[in-house]
Amino acid sequence: MNIPLNIDWQQILLHLFNFAILAGGLYFLLYKPVKNFMDQRLAYYAGMEKEATDKIEQAKAKEQEYQKLLEGADKEISQKKEQASKDAKKMAETIVEDANKQRDHILAEAHKAAEHEKEKMIQDAKEEIVGLAMAATVKMLHGEAVSHE
Amino acid sequence: MGKKKRATALAIWLCVVLILLVCGLVTGGSTVKHESIKEVMRDAVLHESNKISLLGIVDVNPALISAFTVTGIVLFIAACIRIFVIPKFQYVPGKFQLLLEQMVGFFDNLARTNSPHRNKFLGAYVFAAGVYIFIGTLFELFGLQGITTEGMSIALPAPLSDINAAISLGCLSYLVILSGGIAGNGLRGVGNTLKDFSLPISMSFRLFGALLSGLLVTELVYYYIQLSFILPVVVGIMFTLLHALIQTYVLTMLTALFYGEVSEPHEKTKK
Repeated sequence: MNIPLNIDWQQILLHLFNFAILAGGLYFLLYKPVKNFMDQRLAYYAGMEKEATDKIEQAKAKEQEYQKLLEGADKEISQKKEQASKDAKKMAETIVEDANKQRDHILAEAHKAAEHEKEKMIQDAKEEIVGLAMAATVKMLHGEAVSHE
Repeated sequence: MGKKKRATALAIWLCVVLILLVCGLVTGGSTVKHESIKEVMRDAVLHESNKISLLGIVDVNPALISAFTVTGIVLFIAACIRIFVIPKFQYVPGKFQLLLEQMVGFFDNLARTNSPHRNKFLGAYVFAAGVYIFIGTLFELFGLQGITTEGMSIALPAPLSDINAAISLGCLSYLVILSGGIAGNGLRGVGNTLKDFSLPISMSFRLFGALLSGLLVTELVYYYIQLSFILPVVVGIMFTLLHALIQTYVLTMLTALFYGEVSEPHEKTKK
């Protein structure tokens, strides 16, 4: 059968055969390696971008963490200040109390010592008066004896 | 370049062109034509007389020899690129690497955008088809000669200016679309593809008509030696370079578009 336009099935098949070789060759020699390289580069830059994004997120997280720590430190400082002020007040009160106690004690001791000294002085004075009286008596007795002789 | 020098160069060029034109007109009458323009045109369409022997096995149209030559050249260049260029690819590309990446990227993007669901095979196919159409069409510009079975010299035409080549590529594109339909939607995909039964014919004859028109105009221009000055430059660009670009884009785009359409998964309607 004569096909119009001189269409030849054999030549169509030969053209298909030719194109199959070309398509296969181009796929393995050019298309696949170039596309693989492009994908590899895309993955590389995507990885870099992801890494950068992760680092930014990490930095943000650290910033928040430090912010929280700073806020905590401020609170802690004010608490410690308050505590220190309370402690100092307490300590001052204790010191004043101790000082008062010591003062009372010293005063009591001083009063005691003064009393004791006073008693001692009175005792000494008494003893001295007795001694003097004795001496005077002896002198008087001795004088009378001499005069009798 | 100074104005004087430019004017001198222009004058010399015009003189050369005029001398060649005069020589052409003077010597034109002595040329012996083996075929009339009618025969040349008819043979360009039907390939009735000018056949070339394929390794002594079978007589074929010159376009088939062109097709094998184009395949040989393209694969040789591709092998050279694979061996010498691709291993030296850099992440920041040079000019040639950029050209290769643009080529592959263009067809890959064409496949991705038109067929978002299945595009791996489609990308490779449209790349091969695009390269074949583009380089095959430009091939006729080189005017490589073949010897016919009758012993005459003939300029090898673009492979796709032969109806057999156009039919083979059109039908193959249709089969690729059909395969996409089967892979994506099974029997429904087959139905969707078969709906466009005129597609292989339209794709084949579009290619054939476009490239044949270029061939016929070129044959016409070169048949008359008087038309062989300056005009071939315009004709070459109009009917070869633009055809190469347009037909490459049209066939690959249509194939990708139809492939995407038939391979798109359809959601089952809820009753």
